[in-house]
Amino acid sequence: MSALLVAAWNESRKPRPVVLVPTLSGRPEYCLTCHADVPQISAAHPTGTFGCVSCHGGQPLALDADLAHSTMRGGRNPSDFSVVEASCGGANCHSGSAAEGRDHIQRALTSVQTTYAGAIATVRYAFGAQSGPGAQQGIYAIEDPHSATGLTALTAFDPAHDANPSVQTFAANCLNCHLSAQPLPGAQYARFTGCAACHAPTAGTGVQLNAPTLHQLTTAISYAQCNTCHNRGNYSMRDLQFHPRTDAPADRLRDYYQPIAQFTRCEYTLDCVDCHTRTEAMGDGDIHGNKKEIQYIRCKTCHGTPTELPLTKALTDPNDIAFRLALLNPVVDLKIGDTILVTEKGEPLWNIRALPGGAYELFGKASGQRFTFRPVMGSRCTQNPEDQSSASCHQCHSVQR
Amino acid sequence: MRPSFFHHLHPPTIPAAQAQWRYTLGAGGIAVMLVLVLLVTGALEMFFYIPTPDQAGPSIQTIAFLVPFGGLVRNLHYWAAQALIVVAAVHLLRVVFTAAYVPPRRFNYLLGLALLVLSLLLDFTGYALRWDEGVRWALVAGTNLLKTVPWMGGGLYALAVGGPEPGGATLIRFYAWHVFGLVLPLVILSAWHLFRVRRDGGIAVPPPTARATAERISRNELVRREALAALIAGVALLALALWRAAPLAPPITIGSVGIAEARAPWFLLWVQQLLRWGDPFWAGVFVPLALTVGLALIPYLLPGPPRSQLGRWFPPGGRLAQIITGAIALLMIGLTVLALYP
Repeated sequence: MSALLVAAWNESRKPRPVVLVPTLSGRPEYCLTCHADVPQISAAHPTGTFGCVSCHGGQPLALDADLAHSTMRGGRNPSDFSVVEASCGGANCHSGSAAEGRDHIQRALTSVQTTYAGAIATVRYAFGAQSGPGAQQGIYAIEDPHSATGLTALTAFDPAHDANPSVQTFAANCLNCHLSAQPLPGAQYARFTGCAACHAPTAGTGVQLNAPTLHQLTTAISYAQCNTCHNRGNYSMRDLQFHPRTDAPADRLRDYYQPIAQFTRCEYTLDCVDCHTRTEAMGDGDIHGNKKEIQYIRCKTCHGTPTELPLTKALTDPNDIAFRLALLNPVVDLKIGDTILVTEKGEPLWNIRALPGGAYELFGKASGQRFTFRPVMGSRCTQNPEDQSSASCHQCHSVQR
Repeated sequence: MRPSFFHHLHPPTIPAAQAQWRYTLGAGGIAVMLVLVLLVTGALEMFFYIPTPDQAGPSIQTIAFLVPFGGLVRNLHYWAAQALIVVAAVHLLRVVFTAAYVPPRRFNYLLGLALLVLSLLLDFTGYALRWDEGVRWALVAGTNLLKTVPWMGGGLYALAVGGPEPGGATLIRFYAWHVFGLVLPLVILSAWHLFRVRRDGGIAVPPPTARATAERISRNELVRREALAALIAGVALLALALWRAAPLAPPITIGSVGIAEARAPWFLLWVQQLLRWGDPFWAGVFVPLALTVGLALIPYLLPGPPRSQLGRWFPPGGRLAQIITGAIALLMIGLTVLALYP
């Protein structure tokens, strides 16, 4: 009788299992027994649909922490590029067709933010470890025989086999910002790796990366998130060290620390993703040798030139990707019949809509704030339509800092 | 008082000197109790366990974590199985060290030895039923040993594994052996073993003239002592089951190649240590078989003590058997320690 009482007492100490049967897998998961406090990661990934295991892996029936977590992918971060295909991939998820805009993983894996090919090539060339300035190596070896850039493969950068001591110093000190690198210590650098580096908002939250409540994916990426890598200091070619910035700017205008840089108002008011496109940030699926090859948005993309209006597109197809993007981040209520801006490569600037009367409205993707602006055409601007670099525009439109 | 069925299984009286704990160690009785615990808990587990490669691991996790008292039942099954090996080995040593194997008990000694072998096989098959990363190495290494047997290795492997490598056919075969093919002989031989204890005159005792005392205890007293032993063993078993859960690891997945744990179950660690040193067939098959046969032949080949020396520990007439068996036991323990702390 005592034994039975002890057994019953022991049973009563166990947590009551909380089951979730995600519609996607149809298999029961008991993760919520312990993780009831973890918020739903995003509206696009409803917990009831995805559950936990389809992204995180793990043992869905185990109520022992060690066993349950033993087969999790990427530890706390299943979007790390070492496991991203298993976690986020699949034809209907993020490794689908380029035509449907579902090839996020292929694009991200070949992106310069992942390969770091430009930085590696620049340093190796500067210190004589390679004969030309073109990209040859990346953080990982990758191949794309059909790469439109002509760069069809990168071998893996392996400093151990690079006899050049400067290259080894570079490898030891300067590989902190590619998308597979662990961030430097410090709240200002706090980000995950892989997709979550950008899509999990860590910047400015003050929460630790291991906090269970930090369970969020978003396409409303604030400039502060970009700043966990960018705008944090300088990598010096002189001593091959990272020199973090030491100032503490009080506003956005002064936050960009490069003293020579000039800015127009939109550049320090908007968030990076308000202008820079998915392709620029995540790659276009081809292997690129440096940032300049992939970054193409200019002032004229939104503002046009004295002789041309910006490119636009009338939304007639309810399956247009612009609607999908606006659904993920509903800062604008796009409708059939709306006219949005598009880039010269045809990417929709879905958060910028033409207004009657010739003006445009832009909705901040992270801020939700509405801005209106007019095209250059019809203004007093006399800039040569053929010379549209930002430096030219800054001549008149930069703000004194 | 009319004896109950359970009382009836016992002789009306037995000599008091040989009914003492320090003589029998209670090992045979505790082994019977453990077998009963294993049968009951195993039967309960059968309601939930699914012997397919993709469901075995999840169904065990269901038992361990989700079924009310399932974890306790599984832990009891596990610990009873481990304890059975220890208790049966202690029982064997007791029998050899008290020379209880001499005629007319030679045949029952063989039955007991067969029960020990069956227990080991049941333990190994049960261990493999986990079908998780923790057992994969032992499963692969253990079944591969069969291939090394001359002439019939391939056939033995095909018989046990049911394919070119462990898979669904292996699991269902191990399951069938575990819940039927080995349990049935275990139950039959156990009954026969107990029957032969009575038929051979109960516990080994010296002839009446050689006894220090004529004192005897009744079957009531014997049953009382057995119940006490069962109670103590049961409490210990329950404590073990509550204290330490039976091991579990992530289920074996298709294509997994890494070995989470390249270690045999504890009762075969001595074989694993031998395998590190020697040829797989000699170390992994021949030596264990030879030791078993050697133990089986002890009552037939070695001179036993006269009956007057029975009923006490280490009778001088059985010295050679005691030394050989003791050496084998020490060898196994030593090899196990070496395997644990290489």
